[in-house]
Amino acid sequence: MTRIVVVDLHGQFTHLEHRALRDMGVDTEIIDADTPAEEVDADGVVLSGGPDMDRVGNAPDYLAGDAPVLGICLGMQLVAVESGGEVGPGDYGGYADVDVEIVDEDDPLIGSLAPETRVWASHADEVKELPEGFTHTATSDVCGIEAMSNVEAGLYGVQWHPEVAHTERGEEVFENFVAICEER
Amino acid sequence: MVETDTFIDEAVAEIEAAIGDANAVIALSGGVDSSVAATLAHRAIGDRLTPVYVDTGLMRKGETDEIRETFSFMDSLRVIEAQDRFFERLAGVTDPEEKRHVIGEGFIAEFEDVAREVDADYLVQGTIYPDRIESEGNIKSHHNVGGLPEVVDFEGIVEPVRDLYKDEVREVARALGLEEVVSERMPFPGPGLAVRVVGEVTPEKAAVAREACHVVEEELEEYEPWQAFGAVLGKATGVKGDNRVHGWVVAVRAVESRDGMTARAQEIDWGTLQRIQSRITGENENVARVVYDVTHKPPATIEYE
Repeated sequence: MTRIVVVDLHGQFTHLEHRALRDMGVDTEIIDADTPAEEVDADGVVLSGGPDMDRVGNAPDYLAGDAPVLGICLGMQLVAVESGGEVGPGDYGGYADVDVEIVDEDDPLIGSLAPETRVWASHADEVKELPEGFTHTATSDVCGIEAMSNVEAGLYGVQWHPEVAHTERGEEVFENFVAICEER
Repeated sequence: MVETDTFIDEAVAEIEAAIGDANAVIALSGGVDSSVAATLAHRAIGDRLTPVYVDTGLMRKGETDEIRETFSFMDSLRVIEAQDRFFERLAGVTDPEEKRHVIGEGFIAEFEDVAREVDADYLVQGTIYPDRIESEGNIKSHHNVGGLPEVVDFEGIVEPVRDLYKDEVREVARALGLEEVVSERMPFPGPGLAVRVVGEVTPEKAAVAREACHVVEEELEEYEPWQAFGAVLGKATGVKGDNRVHGWVVAVRAVESRDGMTARAQEIDWGTLQRIQSRITGENENVARVVYDVTHKPPATIEYE
């Protein structure tokens, strides 16, 4: 059975990420951010959202592992910063409904959502500069980099919350991530 | 989703095994979670369970009577009339977290008395899975009797629905025959109308919030909101019958949601909104104005405090 852990960066929706995976029949568990990464055996890792970058514990250590990583909201920003990109306040906070345009329809994580998808977001900061090796995969009116992928390194990020009920086709993002983890 | 019949059998067996021949208490709020936990525990140990319902004066209209009726199958049900004591504790308290704290302490005091009187060894709680995670994230403090185990030395705490999500608890409630708890009662916060009164909670403001909630729930039934209510925000100027009034501003809120984690403000037609406005200002002489809240969650929360 595929095992995907959710590293809790103290986000409000962490348990919904756990639930989305559980409902898909994946073996899943919420892991405390301070757990040493080498103690965790998983085929995939989700880095949850959260209030700030000061309490992410050992989450950066998962980026060096073999298992694919999906960063959600703060999790994506963490992937960006750790990979050499830049994060800063957006001009316009992204809250509730956002229409996201998929710019890379071949992306294994979100390409299947092309050309457009309606999502639910909650963030003030955003990725301002893409890290090297990453592809810009989605954009919106309120946030330039809504998603990014580095397929080779197995690192993915979405700025919105695929786990909440108001995101349309959020499950599909998790299904795609499960497929990515199973193929690896 | 949860397999309800299997779940109920297992939960009842687990409660029986945990509590044995001892006595237990549960705080019954009338919400789905505690109603399900209490019914499961009652099936397991019968009247050795004492369900305690505290009327804080912050309940919805008719709520206490509904509780008596819904749970009339439990002979051991205790209804505590504590309205005056709660308003006394709340006088002068304006900070939202402090309000929750004061109400929590009030609950503990009322509950402690009963727990000692019936010689309770175990505490049954309707904690659900998201509560366990959310209280860690520190968004809002959970559970009215969360601090009770520090005051009463229980042998153990039993949480029969701890692994379920809200929608799953609702399924179990239906299977337990608690249809009216699920269908008639929208989620209602533990601190009650106190979080629907911005600033100090007084009997007057609580009464306005209660009447407004009643009107909103009635008028918006066909919209099937996840939650719909009126909240008292503050005072503003109005004019009624040629007299200037400085009256309460009531915010009407109606949202749809799956789990309360995210929510969308509902699109209500103008005629319905006007009828709500007319009833609330017409039936309450101290209300000057009614507004409709169009904010989703995020960025707003569902409740005001």
